[in-house]
Amino acid sequence: MNARRVLRIARWEVGKNTGSIDRRTAAILVGVLVLLAAVAPVLVAANPSPGQGIYRVGVAADDPYYPAVERNPQLRAVEPDAGMVTSGDAELRIEGTRVYVGTSSKAQAALAELRSAVVSYNDYLMRHEPDDAAAFPVSVTLQYLEQDTGTTGGTDTGDGGTGGGAGTTVADGGDGGTSTDGDSGETTPAGSDGGGTDGSTSDGGGGVPALPGGAFGGTQSGTPSSLNPPFPLRSLVLAFAFLLPLNVLIQAYGSSVIDERINRRGEPMLVSPASRGDIVLGKTLPYLVVAAAVTAVIAFAVGGGLPSVLAVLPLAGLFLAATFLGAMLARSYKELTFVTVFVSVPLMAYAFVPAVFTNVHPIAAISPLSIVVQDLEGSRIGVGEFLFATLPVALAAVVCFALGSGVYREEDMFTQRPIPSKVMDALAAPLKNRRRVALWTALFVPFAFIAELFCIAALFVVPESLALPVLLTAIAVVEEAAKSLHVRAGFLRGKFESTRSAALAVGALSGVGFFVGEKLTLITQLVGLPGLELGRAAFGPSVGANPLVVVGFLFAPLLLHTVTASVSALGASRSRRTYLGGFVLAVLLHVGYNLTVVTSLA
Amino acid sequence: MRERLVVARRELGSLRSEKTIVLALLIQLFIAAFSSFLVVGLVSLYSPNASQGNYVVSVGVAGNASDDLAPVVDADDKRRAVVYGTESAATRAFTNAEVDALLVATKYPNGRVRVSAYAPEGSFRTTLVVVQLKDALSAYERQQRDHLSSRLTKKPLDLPPESSGSPYYGFTYTILVPLLMFLPAFISGSVVADTLSEELERGTFELLRVTPLSIPEIVDGKAFAMVALAPAQAALWLAFLAYNGVRVDHPVSMLVLVTGMAAVLVGGGAALALRLGERRDTQLVYSFGAIAVFGLASLLPESPQNVVAKLAVGSPTSLTYPTVAAVAVAAIGAYALARRTAAGMT
Repeated sequence: MNARRVLRIARWEVGKNTGSIDRRTAAILVGVLVLLAAVAPVLVAANPSPGQGIYRVGVAADDPYYPAVERNPQLRAVEPDAGMVTSGDAELRIEGTRVYVGTSSKAQAALAELRSAVVSYNDYLMRHEPDDAAAFPVSVTLQYLEQDTGTTGGTDTGDGGTGGGAGTTVADGGDGGTSTDGDSGETTPAGSDGGGTDGSTSDGGGGVPALPGGAFGGTQSGTPSSLNPPFPLRSLVLAFAFLLPLNVLIQAYGSSVIDERINRRGEPMLVSPASRGDIVLGKTLPYLVVAAAVTAVIAFAVGGGLPSVLAVLPLAGLFLAATFLGAMLARSYKELTFVTVFVSVPLMAYAFVPAVFTNVHPIAAISPLSIVVQDLEGSRIGVGEFLFATLPVALAAVVCFALGSGVYREEDMFTQRPIPSKVMDALAAPLKNRRRVALWTALFVPFAFIAELFCIAALFVVPESLALPVLLTAIAVVEEAAKSLHVRAGFLRGKFESTRSAALAVGALSGVGFFVGEKLTLITQLVGLPGLELGRAAFGPSVGANPLVVVGFLFAPLLLHTVTASVSALGASRSRRTYLGGFVLAVLLHVGYNLTVVTSLA
Repeated sequence: MRERLVVARRELGSLRSEKTIVLALLIQLFIAAFSSFLVVGLVSLYSPNASQGNYVVSVGVAGNASDDLAPVVDADDKRRAVVYGTESAATRAFTNAEVDALLVATKYPNGRVRVSAYAPEGSFRTTLVVVQLKDALSAYERQQRDHLSSRLTKKPLDLPPESSGSPYYGFTYTILVPLLMFLPAFISGSVVADTLSEELERGTFELLRVTPLSIPEIVDGKAFAMVALAPAQAALWLAFLAYNGVRVDHPVSMLVLVTGMAAVLVGGGAALALRLGERRDTQLVYSFGAIAVFGLASLLPESPQNVVAKLAVGSPTSLTYPTVAAVAVAAIGAYALARRTAAGMT
């Protein structure tokens, strides 16, 4: 790595981007941007709702309910007609105080909408009454206070853990039950009584939940209809604003990387004294700087602080890293477009969806965006929480870059080969000796970690009885894949001899690597994710202080990982079919072990 | 025509051999699954009575208006009122988690009741509790308004009966279906830009020109393949939704609309690629341009999203079909633009 070379390449990259845009492109781009700038405020003002007028209500223009229907965007008043509800020409018909409702679920949804429309219309009527005390006879001040018991739902059936996690530490805490009280952040006492006050929010309107933004924790006061469950909508929307520029950035970055591979344009750089690391870092640096700058500007504009910027940066890094890897693997521009979308959509979901549940559910802790949301809400952010949200993402970014750099070489860049074969190249490239296998298994742990968190996120709405076995299987698949994919690549590309002893050695190393890497997951203990039953299942319980149990917990997973990794490695050393067989066997062993641990602990 | 079909078939063939179309379908499946997951999650977290209704929220009630308030709280079987004689006893009960929530209601001489409500902080139950508190207090407000109605100049309307319907019924039709209809169109436009700029950059476009095909014919063929792909994916989605029990009305009109949108975006994408020649520039302008097109279209009296929602849910208006027709006209315009750009290259 040579700093001067990196900077020079970075300068070229910047020059290439700013210098080569011709006047015609610039003119068209400026035109489009001006158009966007003109349309945006109009859109905000007009606020077109996609659900406009989807429910038809038969109501006469002189009916007292007519204005209530008119004021609600989703309802559409149509001329009433006796048979219209049965014939399906309207969902509802109002006559005097009677409401005729169709039998479909659409009609029921329309009725729910009508009810909320009438509530908000009544509030509107009452706001014009001279006698305020009679119009709004009830005024409420809602406060959130901490209660004395553990918070998560009060279920706590002891602990459910498994070998996944090997949770040894935290011997002082004692039982795994009450983890959520002490630890940092997570709650927002006092401070900032956001918006939401005075009952004048005239119905959210729009399609999805009528969840107006505003207060989160703190105090809400107003009429009963202005009360709302804590939901950080405003902060979420703002947090989303951090993600959007990243999508544009990765477009440009992906183009620039794949550009090197078209017509062997990258060849001169490859034969120069600059190392691969220099080239990759140099090409990436400008984009990372732009990401940081844009993030800082957004943070400044929406009132976020340093924690917001620091939380978004690893995410930006992962966006770029995944795009880099995608651009190294893609065969054509078309393929790159698909790969880019394929990268950005799950990443956005990973970042955004858990953040929706910030302060409601511990699952939110896995997303860097919930740090942003908390920062915007002005609440305290613990160091453990911050690391938990950002570290796996940052590590995953580093691994993606490392894998991509592995195939940043002539034989991979300028040839047309299917993605799976290039993936194998990328995985095999860094395996210079057997010890590297352990290192790379350890490096894959953050990915396994993210994938497992993803499974938890996807499964936490499923009833726990059903979710647990599915989750255990998913975890086994993820972990076995992390332990064996690169081993298979190593055998396939002839990095190791296809002998039984080599397979056993490599498998054992891979298992040890995973075991060591897994110790990283111990930081989950800092955030209280183990308080969630599924989290415990994935990352292990906090074990009591009994030394025998501690030792058992330390070595049982080590044994498991080495055994399963050796099984899959034995399969990987022969052919594709034996690899699949070995892999399935390893997964079965893993699931069996997990189930045994869970049932023996329950 | 034959020649164009040959180009189109080759284009689709290359997508198939790269198997990237599988990625595209996977993405869409992912989006659909995740947004459904999001809705289920939102329903269970933010409107818990819609999904799991068996939890009874116990509400401590204290203050001089308890006698009025407690029966209203008790009126729904999802809530249970516990009346405390003094405020301090009630507060103690709340802090010790004997009750889920606490309402201290004080009546003033002018008839107004001031309620201090307390909900547990930062837990799964919080939302459920607040929803129930809101429900109870709204009912209480209506009751008190009734008592004081002599002091009002206008009488509030009676509420329609409560509905058994999910408040998120609309989500599928207003968000999910439009998303699934427009995403393929957007991707098609992006891909046609890619394939053209790659031919230009690699220099293979020159090779195509020595074939008996004219440039407009080549562009036609590529564009045709991509435009056709969008409604095919949309139709797949509609079938999938139907299989999952989501009734979608007017599928044919929707596919026409999707084809129109795809043609607009593909035409635009092709014109840009031919004009700008480089992928980076093309994609940049295309992304912003597509956003601008959707933004502009949203300003129509009925936006394309709204048209899809109305068609899908089965309540089209007199404006719905003219909007579909307008999109078709715009599609012809975009085609003409791409055609003119292509013709300008020879």
